[in-house]
Amino acid sequence: MLLDIHSLSKIYGQSCGHCLDETGERQGRSICPQCGSVVAVNRACLQIEGDEILGIVGESGSGKSTLLQLLYRDVEASSGEVFFHVIKDKKNRPVNILDLDMLQTARMRNEMMSMIYQNPRLGLNYLFSAGGNIAEKIIGAGEHRFEKIRNRVHHFVDKIELPGTRVDDYPDTFSGGQQQRIQIAKALSSSPNLLLLDEPTTGLDVSVQARILDLIKSLQKEMGFAMIVVSHDLGVIRHLTDITVVMRHGSIVEYGLTDQILEDPQHGYTQLLVSSIL
Amino acid sequence: MTEIRFAILDEDAKKEIRRALLKAVSLPGYIVPFASREMPVARGWGTGGMQITLSIIVEEDVLKVIDQGCDGSVNAVNIRDFIVAATGVETSAHTDEASLIQTRHRIPERPLTEEQILVFQVPYPEVLTTVEPDTGRQKQIHAHREYSRLWVLLYEDTAQFGESRISNRYPVEVNGHFVMDPSPIPRYDIPRLDNNPALLLFGAGREKRIYAIPPYTRVKPLVFEDRPFLVESFPGQCCERCGANNVFLDEVHGEDGVHYFCSDTDYCDNHQKRTDHAA
Repeated sequence: MLLDIHSLSKIYGQSCGHCLDETGERQGRSICPQCGSVVAVNRACLQIEGDEILGIVGESGSGKSTLLQLLYRDVEASSGEVFFHVIKDKKNRPVNILDLDMLQTARMRNEMMSMIYQNPRLGLNYLFSAGGNIAEKIIGAGEHRFEKIRNRVHHFVDKIELPGTRVDDYPDTFSGGQQQRIQIAKALSSSPNLLLLDEPTTGLDVSVQARILDLIKSLQKEMGFAMIVVSHDLGVIRHLTDITVVMRHGSIVEYGLTDQILEDPQHGYTQLLVSSIL
Repeated sequence: MTEIRFAILDEDAKKEIRRALLKAVSLPGYIVPFASREMPVARGWGTGGMQITLSIIVEEDVLKVIDQGCDGSVNAVNIRDFIVAATGVETSAHTDEASLIQTRHRIPERPLTEEQILVFQVPYPEVLTTVEPDTGRQKQIHAHREYSRLWVLLYEDTAQFGESRISNRYPVEVNGHFVMDPSPIPRYDIPRLDNNPALLLFGAGREKRIYAIPPYTRVKPLVFEDRPFLVESFPGQCCERCGANNVFLDEVHGEDGVHYFCSDTDYCDNHQKRTDHAA
């Protein structure tokens, strides 16, 4: 097992103590009627194996992206535990990554876990060149030899099918799809164990979407990392993932093999979601 | 009531600055904020260095003030005259005679001793400003030594130009922890910060910051493991005045071409005297 999520929750606002019970799938709401707090993620439990690809689907506001942000520690969790089995303490027991300090979090992000955002502006530093962006992650993982860094940057620039002559150009000078590919190269340059993707192709045109999905998939086969893909596009989920969870009102309402969920949805909301594909 | 208080600053101000200095010396390379009093010159004209000098100077001190290595430049002369007017201390242009040296952007050529203190005037104390404008996050980066963004600048320069483009203010790592701005000294002076027997104090008056390198501290420039750190070199050139060729030279462009002179005027005078003797 790679990732083990226990009862992970995120509440925005002063919690009254009953928020988690007053919201969720059964109650059909994510705003606590007693105190008005917003429960973005409600006691989520998940497990992921070392090379699995997990998809998260759900309507907007269902807590998909927040769940990713909690794992990447962009956002502090309210309660719960997350064991990431490549991070262990001195007694070789997995550590709850929600307890990591800033330095340990930075190390985790530099060496073990990467995030690809919907908007490349969140994942890239536009003051650095494309190569500089990719190098930042490699340097962050402790490499201080120029030739090694440069070779690795070129390796990933080749992988994402960017012309090698443009490696020192700035992200602004690339198209949206190219920027997204640079972000992918940056995320993968430190050989992470887990890749988080938050709507990686939303907003790109269909032909570019397909190429980026193929790229991600072939890199995953080659490098063998686990992925969590958040998308409201069932086509992306079908194309990429092995296992799918469906979220609504902050809760996980259905969990299963992707084929099974898309062909034979059990939960009423999932049935609605699958039947409403254009 | 016409007499000037010794060293102008009131005792509370001196105490505050000395306290900041103590903290700076205890945490080599760490930037300590201080109050930065009004001085009789505008901020940005060496007030940080002046305040440090005035708060640690004693009557027995022998003062030397240099600007780009030169004792005779207008700024050096004015600052020296001001400090003498406020304290009555002895001055000297000779590096070996001075106990307290205030400098703008050079380290004297003659090696310093344990008895000496070198005070730098600093325009931009924070090395991270170019890569992280947020002061709160700058502190976190320093605390966790997450300097990868400075390395990215070095990477980009090396990728495009073969080496770093930084000519002065080259970032240095102090005592294996903090990366700091060594003030705009040339690269030539960077290796001379390492393991220096003198106490090195840095004052930024406008930015209200003080930092320090205690004697015999490890200081190394940020440089890739497989790349050498290059300093200015002047192949085939020597000082036209004294003939020295192993020092940092000023390049003077005149109508009749380029001339080279020692940047450190005291070194130049001494070297000339010695060669005259020999001849």
